[in-house]
Amino acid sequence: MRAFWATALGLGCGLAGCGSDGGGGDPEEFVDSGGTLAIEGCGYSLTTRLGAEAPKRSGDKLGPDPTPRLVHLGFMGDPRTSIVAQWRTADETTTVTKMRYAAGENLAPEALTETVIGVRFRYNSTGTDLFHMHQAHACNLQPGTTYSYQVGADDHWSPVYTFTTAPDVEANPDTEVVLGYLGDSRGGYDVWMQLAAQVQTRTPDLILFSGDAVTIGLTQYEWEEFLGVAEPLLATTPLVIAHGNHEANAVNFYSQFALPGDQENFGFDYGFAHVFVANDSPDNPSELTVDIPMAMDADFTAHASARWKMLMHHRPMYSSGSRHGSATDLQAAWGPVVDKHQLDLVLNGHEHQFEMSKPIRNNEVQATNADGTVYIVAGGAGAPLYGFDTPGFWSEYTESTHSAAVIRVRRDQLTFEAFRTDGTMLPAGFTKTKP
Amino acid sequence: MTRAALAALGVVAALVVCTRIAAADPDADAQAAFNAAVARDDIAALEELGAARPITRWSDDAWAEAARLSIKTGDLARARRALEQVIAIGTDAQLVRRARGDLARIKGFTGDAGEWTQVAIEHERLLAQLPQGGDPRATLAQLEQLARAHPGYPRAPMLMVAIAAAWERAGEGDRAIAWLREAETVATTRADQLHVAAELVRTLIRSGALATAENELAQLSRDAGPGLVNSLRKMLDRAKLRRTARYVCWGILAVIAALAAFSLRRAAGSWRAALRRLARPPFEALFLLPLGGVLIAFALTGNALIARTVILIVGFGLATSWISGAILEGSAPVRLSRAALHASLAVVAILAAVYIAVDQGHVIDFVIETWRRGHERG
Repeated sequence: MRAFWATALGLGCGLAGCGSDGGGGDPEEFVDSGGTLAIEGCGYSLTTRLGAEAPKRSGDKLGPDPTPRLVHLGFMGDPRTSIVAQWRTADETTTVTKMRYAAGENLAPEALTETVIGVRFRYNSTGTDLFHMHQAHACNLQPGTTYSYQVGADDHWSPVYTFTTAPDVEANPDTEVVLGYLGDSRGGYDVWMQLAAQVQTRTPDLILFSGDAVTIGLTQYEWEEFLGVAEPLLATTPLVIAHGNHEANAVNFYSQFALPGDQENFGFDYGFAHVFVANDSPDNPSELTVDIPMAMDADFTAHASARWKMLMHHRPMYSSGSRHGSATDLQAAWGPVVDKHQLDLVLNGHEHQFEMSKPIRNNEVQATNADGTVYIVAGGAGAPLYGFDTPGFWSEYTESTHSAAVIRVRRDQLTFEAFRTDGTMLPAGFTKTKP
Repeated sequence: MTRAALAALGVVAALVVCTRIAAADPDADAQAAFNAAVARDDIAALEELGAARPITRWSDDAWAEAARLSIKTGDLARARRALEQVIAIGTDAQLVRRARGDLARIKGFTGDAGEWTQVAIEHERLLAQLPQGGDPRATLAQLEQLARAHPGYPRAPMLMVAIAAAWERAGEGDRAIAWLREAETVATTRADQLHVAAELVRTLIRSGALATAENELAQLSRDAGPGLVNSLRKMLDRAKLRRTARYVCWGILAVIAALAAFSLRRAAGSWRAALRRLARPPFEALFLLPLGGVLIAFALTGNALIARTVILIVGFGLATSWISGAILEGSAPVRLSRAALHASLAVVAILAAVYIAVDQGHVIDFVIETWRRGHERG
């Protein structure tokens, strides 16, 4: 009951902006039952989970060291017109949450004339430490436009970073978007650092991460290393991350990444691509056979006219890996949806290696990639490498190596390229064209 | 036909031509040409489209695709020229930004003036050749020669890491470690230094040089974050624990084998008679043989690593039951306490043997993961 009232009060204050810091007194009581806050001007709400407090609007308190750190981007709304900057401060007590920005590349701080007052909330995973998350939601942006921005508080700003909103493909039919794709960095943050740098040299518009960023989802220092060593990439490119089994549905995962929908199963458009992201290790495993495939089916039905359709989740439906192999439960439950909507790509991790399938439909190899879905496992972003069994009938290329990939998407072409930590290309790329 | 009619006809013809010209959509034509060239991987056609004037919406895209295909084919000089054209046209800010990034990456591989271009091309070619199965020695020899000849090559540290990984896969851990030591001396960026140092610790642990790994990890801890350090620390601690467990298991097996040998000698009366008893398969072994055969046959239909482990366990089990049967052969009914001791020692021997079997090839990691997280749903 105490939690209920505190949550209700926190939410009410958040919406109304009551109190000197917008969220109650100081020190603020921490109530970990989650909550929802409407984000002004964006047309969506931010919901936090059990283990986190209800989100509140920015306060006015500066802690002993309000220096922003672990700056990274995401989005909850339309990526053409919105972005979410997320960060923590060196102290965990600063409540001021601001972002300033302006259209243009590498602008001076004085030129950042637009200001967003952000939201914040704390979460607690294990022990007594509270982690204070700050988010600034910039909406009503221009599509395909580069912005410079800083986050923080007066006199305590982050460096100036840039981001580019997703393009408007109606106005720009020659648009190309580049999607970086990798997964399974857990434990190997030296490799993740190398690969993040390699991905960044390809100037991606968006990063797709197929899960298992950390070994144990509740271990905050691992998340900090994941976000910290890749900050140059993640502060300039929005990240869309799928939930992997090692994230273990921890509050840390749901608190640190602004994602569309319920953060687990959601679809979004980016350029000419439509991507559906699914959680294949949900708290309730029965969702795997009914709720998730239904949501996936509904999403792809609603986006039937999308030029390129992709699914990203963690456990691969097709894998020759010796550790886990093919997730036949997902093959049975999700495969028919993939086949029905004739997806172009399914992106996975879980097996720590690289594998690309031949085009598959109805569990059979097809003659050309126009007739089937290519399943990729790129689970080598740092976790210990696994080996292979004899390659399955579906397998086109296997290599036990740390790797990442980029997917270049144009209206009529989709190109897939994978590369190792040293930037050398894997001999496993392809271009698919559509009339 | 009158002059007036001819003039009218001329005007109509001119109007038709003008209308056609006006109706022609250079962007649509360029798009069609672009799609056709990309479908054929035709770099020359893309370059021609990019260079055509007037500039269309697709001119910079054509150069960008020409650059991408040139990188793919290893023609880095051609890629650089194409990327410079994307920047020169400059109509699509994101494409220009990407071209600048690609140029910087290529320069990072090949040097500012392209002085490392041939080395970079050879590096890519040889790594692509490096077989995942089969004997990699010939390719590795060429890669080693490349790395030794060009220590200043910007990607030398990562090339050496790749060489080390290949030697480790080929079963030559010492050689792998030597290359990682070499990589340490040429790594200059923080990212490279961190990666090389972490790879060295991992390789030392896998090769069993745990004391050296401990020292290297202590040094790495000064620069690396806690996530990486803790992950390496766990790997090292696990390796130490397993090494101890392995020694203990071998010790147990040695003691039980000695006890079994003396028991057999005492039961048989002499060493020669003991050997004669061992030459005949006892009933217990005959009983286990078909069961073991079925287990092995099932195991061989699945994971090769698991199959090897099952073969080892069945082999250990067969040997234990054989020796146990030989000891008990023809003996008078034994006291319950002695039977219990005999059975307990057999169970302990089997458990020790099972541990040694699952420790091989790190199958124990599978067992632990299954224990902690349940079996794969797939």
